[in-house]
Amino acid sequence: MTDLVGAGARGAAMDRFSLASLLRARETGVFIALAVLCIFLSLATDSFLTSLNLLNIGRQVSLLGIMAVGMTFVLISGEVDLSVGSTYALSGLATGMLIVAGWALLPALALGLFTGAAIGFVNGVLSTYGRLPSLIATLGMLSIVRGVALILTGGQPVTVNLRNGADAGVLQAFSFMGQGYLFGIVPMQLVFFAVIAAIAWVVLSYTSFGFRTFAVGGSAKAARVSGISVNWVKIWAFVVMGLLAAFAGILSLAFLPSGQAGRTGLGLELDVIAATIVGGASLAGGEGTILGTILGVLIIGVMRNGLVLMGVSPFVQELMIGLVIIIAVGIDKWSMRRSG
Amino acid sequence: MTKRFPGVLALDRISAAFRPGEVHAVVGENGAGKSTLMNILAGDLQPDGGEIRIDGAAAVIASPLVSRACGISVVYQELSLCPTLTIAENIMMSDVAARPALSLVPREDMRQQVRKALARLGMGGLDPDMTVGRLSVAEMQLVEIARAIRQEARLLILDEPNSALSKQESEKLFDIVRQLRGEGVGVVYVSHHLSEVLDLADRITVMRDGRTIETIDNEGVSEGRLIHAMVGRDLGTTTPWALQVEAHSDDTDTVLAVEGLVAPGLDGLDFSVRAGEIVGIGGLPDSGKDGLGEALFGLCERRGRVVINGVELRQANPLAAIRCGMTFVPADRRGAGGLLTMSVAENVVSASLPRFSLAGFLRRGAVRHAARAQVARLDARISHLGQRLATLSGGNQQKIILGRSLVTNPRVLILHEPTRGVDVGAKAEIYSILRGIAGEGVAVVMISSEVPELILNAERVLVLRGGRLSGELTGSGINEEAILEMAMAS
Repeated sequence: MTDLVGAGARGAAMDRFSLASLLRARETGVFIALAVLCIFLSLATDSFLTSLNLLNIGRQVSLLGIMAVGMTFVLISGEVDLSVGSTYALSGLATGMLIVAGWALLPALALGLFTGAAIGFVNGVLSTYGRLPSLIATLGMLSIVRGVALILTGGQPVTVNLRNGADAGVLQAFSFMGQGYLFGIVPMQLVFFAVIAAIAWVVLSYTSFGFRTFAVGGSAKAARVSGISVNWVKIWAFVVMGLLAAFAGILSLAFLPSGQAGRTGLGLELDVIAATIVGGASLAGGEGTILGTILGVLIIGVMRNGLVLMGVSPFVQELMIGLVIIIAVGIDKWSMRRSG
Repeated sequence: MTKRFPGVLALDRISAAFRPGEVHAVVGENGAGKSTLMNILAGDLQPDGGEIRIDGAAAVIASPLVSRACGISVVYQELSLCPTLTIAENIMMSDVAARPALSLVPREDMRQQVRKALARLGMGGLDPDMTVGRLSVAEMQLVEIARAIRQEARLLILDEPNSALSKQESEKLFDIVRQLRGEGVGVVYVSHHLSEVLDLADRITVMRDGRTIETIDNEGVSEGRLIHAMVGRDLGTTTPWALQVEAHSDDTDTVLAVEGLVAPGLDGLDFSVRAGEIVGIGGLPDSGKDGLGEALFGLCERRGRVVINGVELRQANPLAAIRCGMTFVPADRRGAGGLLTMSVAENVVSASLPRFSLAGFLRRGAVRHAARAQVARLDARISHLGQRLATLSGGNQQKIILGRSLVTNPRVLILHEPTRGVDVGAKAEIYSILRGIAGEGVAVVMISSEVPELILNAERVLVLRGGRLSGELTGSGINEEAILEMAMAS
């Protein structure tokens, strides 16, 4: 295949399979950074390069990764969603409360996911037909959704256990989602992340909806001239984001298994956006890949893990993460190799 | 005051002299070089040769600041006011900007000066503290002029100053221009409206193809005389399309029928286009022609009937228009035209996604096949189908966007400025492609500001003025003078 249809927008590597274009691909820079980081940590610590630790990293980044996949859709469509941390909290807590109230697993999950999708839908409608910039619309929703979570729980922690009234069978299945291991070794959270990322990759690269998302973010005007319904593509991107934020929130509660409306997922939206941007998505829209997002998430995950292993203080960790964001995105902008 | 610039690129050895205390009109078609000349005087562009003399001394206008220091002030067609600041802040902006960063802004002093400047224009009623965004376009224009004359302009350049003004507002503007002339200010007045030019100007310079054709005193000059000087271009040896095709018989199917179209800039327009016909739409920038494509295609709200093959497009919706067989190539190629961040292949199929999808998945083989076919048919020069549209030249971008329209299997093709920013070679290729498309029975509507383009390609030219049809020309009756006359008639 010498002339793949794959767009420039989806990474120059897809233009042609040649070494030169592979080196030019946006993901390559992030990948090299990740590789360098891993090699350094392998040499600097004994415990980094063990299958146990690597799987542990995989589990730690999974929830962030699932949300970053959703954020990739939203950013490519040219919007941004700040409400994901609140959605994460509300959906997880709502599902937890239903299970504690004795609901079966599937209805509880469905309602939790529906909550997320509905929040995404509202975000989408406000940002399109409502003519609000998504930054403002979702900033408002960040507070509103957090407020709903606080009202719903009365500010009290929600803990999913037998003592609070959960059905034993339901609790076991629920806990498995968050704490279990596939084949006794691969964390379930990582399995979910992998499956979701794979589906998202197919949707973005091979489907008409993925195409429309890139088109709308690349140039909304041109997309309109092509007869693409700009507003609905964006609304769907927000719905995908809402669903994935909700799912991550549910998995989080299944893992812990306790949450509190005032604390769960606070500030998470910034981590999600940061990981997606480090992975090459652009706030201006029209650019981003699932592979890049995965790499971005891994960089942040590996960084945190490595700093802990090296015994760096948590305060310094925060500082380092910030530097990574600026340097990773900066290298891409400063190198000036992209045409625009 | 004399200025000469022999040998500028877009200007070919032009010379003109602007005197104090005169209103000097500059007229010419689009692309005649008027804007380039104004930009040079404003210091935005540098001439490649020749010299500018101010008060007899050679001057180099290296930047807009120098231009202003020389006493030249330009009021552009697009306003350059900051809508969130007040009138006083806008007018005094350059003074405030020149002060040290932490110095206090002398508000009361500013207001005084601004009141004086406004009063000089008979605008004393305006509150200097009002936000500019709340003013009417006419008032903004006057604020711009106030800013210009407060800077002690000796040469005031007005570029199409009244294209957005009503008749009364224009009259008021003319009074101010005459008043400034009386005060010894030289006024350069660029306009398409010949009646106004004849009414206002002391002398008139006609430009064509980057040259100054003549400068005449405005005494007993007629509109016809000016139009004749503006036209008379060498059209080359190409035979206009209208003379090559046999006239369409009236029983050929009408594909597109438009009745009472009302939309931004359009005020009740009727016309129809038959299969296989290329209809040109001409007119001045404020004639409404620039909104026609968007209105027909459903990109803006509209009233009136748009009928394709007997089916009325009730909703203003691009998707519905495409389904009915209409397709649109917008003027703004880099904005609304192509998906610059996406590949050639993706651009070609972007308006026909349903046809290239199976259960939501893009059929990549079919996409490649269609894209390759269009690239070959349009002879677009690309390195491979995955190339980003942004990396192509203007002409090739336009071909790909045309390809996108053709893939939809259109019955009506609407083009707005189809060759803007396209080099001469690609222009000729695009024209021949369009004739081929019309030959296949597609109704082609070509909206263009370039009169030669209309003459060369259209079998019928509709000229718009004031949002309505001003006149219609067919076959050998299509010529530059007739088109300009219809466009400018008052």
